[in-house]
Amino acid sequence: MKKHLKVLLLILSVTFLQNTSLYSNEQTVEPGISYDEIYDPIEPINRAVLNFNFFIDDIAIRPIVKTYKFIAPEPVEKGVSNFFSNLKEPIRTVSFIFQGEFYKSFNSIGRFTVNTITSLGTFDLASRVGMEKNETDFGITLAKGGVSSGPYIVIPIIGPSNLRDFSGDVIEYFVDPLSNNVPNREYIAIGNGFNERVEIDEQIDKVRDVSSDRYEMIKSIYYQNRNAQLEEEYIQNLPVPKIYIE
Amino acid sequence: MRILLVILTTIFSFSPIEASEVSAWFEKESNQFLEIISNNEGTESENYDKYKFFVNKNFAIKSIAYGLIGEKIINQSSENELSTYLNVFTDYLIKTIYKLANSNSSSSINLKDVDIKGDIYIIKSEISYKKSSANLYWKVINTGSSFKIIDVIVENTSYFVTKKSEFNKILRKNKNSLEALIKEIQKI
Repeated sequence: MKKHLKVLLLILSVTFLQNTSLYSNEQTVEPGISYDEIYDPIEPINRAVLNFNFFIDDIAIRPIVKTYKFIAPEPVEKGVSNFFSNLKEPIRTVSFIFQGEFYKSFNSIGRFTVNTITSLGTFDLASRVGMEKNETDFGITLAKGGVSSGPYIVIPIIGPSNLRDFSGDVIEYFVDPLSNNVPNREYIAIGNGFNERVEIDEQIDKVRDVSSDRYEMIKSIYYQNRNAQLEEEYIQNLPVPKIYIE
Repeated sequence: MRILLVILTTIFSFSPIEASEVSAWFEKESNQFLEIISNNEGTESENYDKYKFFVNKNFAIKSIAYGLIGEKIINQSSENELSTYLNVFTDYLIKTIYKLANSNSSSSINLKDVDIKGDIYIIKSEISYKKSSANLYWKVINTGSSFKIIDVIVENTSYFVTKKSEFNKILRKNKNSLEALIKEIQKI
């Protein structure tokens, strides 16, 4: 039972509030895709969970995030962010291998080596020497393998996802070469989750401010960001309005 | 003959003159926008009026507003309803930009690249604030007399796509009633 709880905690924490940047896409990506027809069969449940998440965020997470952002100097915040991003390089390496992107895989492990040796990952020296960071995860690996996104889901505490991306997170838990060899990995996962919440703090504030329906807004942002990771000419292919004489 | 036509069309659609025109327009308007953001000396109402002027001048408001509701709703609505919707949406757009911009004062916007797809210019820029930066794309059309913005994409999030999802949801929930949508928008 304890083991199962650990697994659940880790899965929850690894993807903790990756709200705006790490979510899934609609089926296989097609140019000009319709973002308002996202498969969402359990919308009432999802809406309830999202409200719950915002409630928890309001009373517990947000105050801590705001305090942290107020206290921590910018270099510290950046260092912490780099540290957690660096810990993901081994799993990115594995993901890229499964995607057949061997150059990027080699780049990821190179980045991990350089940044860990020089600063324990707190400073991204690798980018300065031309080894740019490439984002990926197992959700993307599955998408590139032809797996469709499945239904949109909002997971308690974690936030938006879909069946494919959530499955990707579960797979990552089992194959992450780093996490599987580190004691107390739950703490790292929780720290990573907190860091990701800090990184999207401004976006969350904006969602609160300017949305007429925050559920739809978050869902749309989630799918747009995932599509951007999957589609090469994403910006060019986004739908545009028909032109009327102004 | 057909080949010649294709070649000519290609040459003119990627005209460097137009690309440099749109770049110059962008440099001018983005500087003006930054001036508005950083100048907080006036009253809230005065500052808001500056945003209003900027949005009315540079955004293809009617195209965005109509694009968000779609042709089906446009065809079933009266002139009066559409006119009300357009006015309410204009206010909504100004408020949105006002709220977003106000939290990003003392930023800088740098032009990176201009791409052309069909009749649409895709301007890639970078907005910097303190030590962080984000990619900002602008989709722009040439109306003949000026350039107008039809979409703004911050990192990968398109304003048009996001709002279309929101508006469609409200319309579906209210049996495609434009009146209901107008009421919802006014709440913001």
